[in-house]
Amino acid sequence: MKLRAFALMALTGFATLQPARAAQDAFQLPPYAHAYEPQTVDERGQWMEADERERQIRDSPLRIREGNLETYLRTVLCHEVGQDRCAGVRIYAMEVPMFNATMMANGAMEVWSGLLLRVRSEAELAAILGHEFAHFELRHRLNGFKNQRGTSDAMAWISVLGGISNTPVGSANLSLLGSVYRFGRDQESQADLLGLKYLANSGYPAGSASLVWQSLMAEEDASALGRKQKPKQKYTAGFFDSHPASFERAARLAQEAAKLPAGGDARAKEFQEAVAPYLPRFLTAQVKLNDFGGSEYILSNLSQRSGWTGDLLFARAELHRARATPRDLQLASQFYRDAKGAGYSNPDLDRNLGLSLLRNGQTEEGRAALSSYLTAYPDASDAKAINALLAN
Amino acid sequence: MRYAFMIAVIVGASSSACLANALISPGPHAAIAQSRLSATPDGQWNRLSRRDGKNVELWTLDGDSLNKVTFFGGIPVGKPLLREIDKKNRPLPKVMSNMLITDIPALLESTYRSQFSVNQIQIETQEPALLDGNKGIRFTYAFTRADDEVLRKGEGIGAMVGGQLYLVTYEAPSLYFFEKDLEKFHKLITTLKL
Amino acid sequence: MQFNTVLRASLLACGLCASTMAIGQEKTGNKEGFSLAPGTVRIMLMRPVIQVGEQSTGGMYEPNADWTTQARENIAASLHDAQSKLGNQITSYAETASGEEPVITQYSHLFGTVADSVIEYQFFPGNRLPTKKRDKGFDWAVGPGIASLKSLEGADYALFITTRDEFGSTGRKVLQIFAAMGGVSVTSGVHTGHAGLIDLKTGELVWLNADRQMGGDVRTPEGAQKRVKQLLEGFPGKPVETAALAGK
Repeated sequence: MKLRAFALMALTGFATLQPARAAQDAFQLPPYAHAYEPQTVDERGQWMEADERERQIRDSPLRIREGNLETYLRTVLCHEVGQDRCAGVRIYAMEVPMFNATMMANGAMEVWSGLLLRVRSEAELAAILGHEFAHFELRHRLNGFKNQRGTSDAMAWISVLGGISNTPVGSANLSLLGSVYRFGRDQESQADLLGLKYLANSGYPAGSASLVWQSLMAEEDASALGRKQKPKQKYTAGFFDSHPASFERAARLAQEAAKLPAGGDARAKEFQEAVAPYLPRFLTAQVKLNDFGGSEYILSNLSQRSGWTGDLLFARAELHRARATPRDLQLASQFYRDAKGAGYSNPDLDRNLGLSLLRNGQTEEGRAALSSYLTAYPDASDAKAINALLAN
Repeated sequence: MRYAFMIAVIVGASSSACLANALISPGPHAAIAQSRLSATPDGQWNRLSRRDGKNVELWTLDGDSLNKVTFFGGIPVGKPLLREIDKKNRPLPKVMSNMLITDIPALLESTYRSQFSVNQIQIETQEPALLDGNKGIRFTYAFTRADDEVLRKGEGIGAMVGGQLYLVTYEAPSLYFFEKDLEKFHKLITTLKL
Repeated sequence: MQFNTVLRASLLACGLCASTMAIGQEKTGNKEGFSLAPGTVRIMLMRPVIQVGEQSTGGMYEPNADWTTQARENIAASLHDAQSKLGNQITSYAETASGEEPVITQYSHLFGTVADSVIEYQFFPGNRLPTKKRDKGFDWAVGPGIASLKSLEGADYALFITTRDEFGSTGRKVLQIFAAMGGVSVTSGVHTGHAGLIDLKTGELVWLNADRQMGGDVRTPEGAQKRVKQLLEGFPGKPVETAALAGK
């Protein structure tokens, strides 16, 4: 742990110590062919099949259709790679509490809610979208060369960045993690580099890409500690062996970023505003994953961006209420009250505060909170159950 | 780890008598889920030979992904609802002694999110209910598992009795199946005895 | 998915007793009294669901996007060739502006789940449900709600096709050998496919062809042709049951 923390410090230092040499050649973007269309029979077939997969995503119950989230994501990508490049891209936001994004041959991109919960600024988001887009773009060039079709290179059709999460919630996700690391290192490196160029070219700080990886590593550690495991075990076991280590990758990204223009605003505030309407929902899903350490890490990370908002305090209270030791319940009640003070106004606060107090044996206070919940929300779907608790 | 699990299954199966899915005929059935839970169905059900946990028993009509009744028979404090598949990376939440009735559906939800990659689940109605005279909760829910993306609905009745959790749930796809067999479940839970 | 793993593990456990498990396996079910005269009905071919991946040591499925892409492409081409030989008017499902796509997708998922249940709990003797014994008939459905879908109007039946392939990983094969030394049989790889016909007036499943041990490596065009031929074997109302479909 100590070694790791030290290494991380050294790593962050690396980025800043290196003079920002904006080498012109490193900054060149590849030439862009307007409105790319599949050229060969084979390729048309592949696009058709990607269209098929896109239909499934589009119709999935997991898709986040409400509001402007997908529009926002697309705006960020378009700003980053340019309007002409992104003209053919569709972005789908999916409710899956894992860190992941994928892009298909036909220009459809899938972004998971776990990613949106974890990245801290528009620049970090752009770092991942840019990396994904780079896979897509590089594939175009491969097509130009033709005859490169084979098992490994077809992998570039669907690329996955990340998948690093301490809370794999299902084997589907685990498998994705596995498949991430079957990518050739070369392809990942190429996409990383091109992604960085998009990032720098659009004025975002190029160092953001490295920050994403550092944060994910720290989350891994927090999660392991929360489960009373040794953090470093996570890095040596299983499929993490088979890919360029996160650490190595973060270091390389920082190194490369240092060669590019430093960039300006990471636009943390704009990102925060765009995801704000969805944040309570994303937080709820995270808090229920039974990963105390990882969830706490994410919350504290978010609080650095926005301060402890009502939403964050509420989620923190929920996290403690779920673990439910006497100390947790006491903290939970405190955080619920703090959340209220910070402007959290949904009536479920009174309910959960009441439940937390009740569970901790603070019966009278608990009842008062539950009563105010029922007064505010008499037709709640759980009103009968809450009434029963009051009557006990 | 998974290796160990597979081998445990193999060894376990070869040392014990081979179990087949059994017919649950109308009439009283005791010791459900190796607990003091009993029920008296008025129609036929099938009991799966598979167990998802030490005190878990599964009944079905057409197969457990089409209609499934799960009996959690007295899960003790400190134990998860289901057998943990990956204790290290996906530990399940445990039954706790200080659980309120509303914590029962919350425990099920958190378990499903971890165990079955359920990324969307809504607990809908919650109301007090008696499980053979014990104060408990009756609740409805809707969820989607990531593996088949079939929208499912569920209903459950549960109570903490003597420091152990008793919970019986019914789950089926929202399209057609849930409604088809809901009445049978309703009848069944009126016959539950501890 | 875990859930399937456990299921598979228990299946396997039962296989220890019923060593004839693969041999006694049935593959086709017909609703009692159902028949289809050639050239009398209109059939809607729904979008095939195709998954290809690897099977880990523990029997867990790991999707492989690349293989799936290849299989989709190959199977789509083979189906296209086979369509004209089914003896009835076949239309491929096309999207409409009905806004029904999410529901259609749900029916497709539900069909897959029903078909899986038929194989698991009726065709497969080792795991058959007592209430699903063959003398109890072939009684499965996705429900009459499907009749009200506008985008299926004009068709009498819907043909659903799903395939799922899991190629055994090295670890899985090692386990297989290890287990064999102990006198235990562990299968490596899963090659499942179903083709099923739903009556669009009642929502009943009137014909299902399903196999847990399908042939043909769907990652290759030849393999996909073989698979499609197997899937459509015994298709009701097909005029000639010959090797014509095989495409050699």
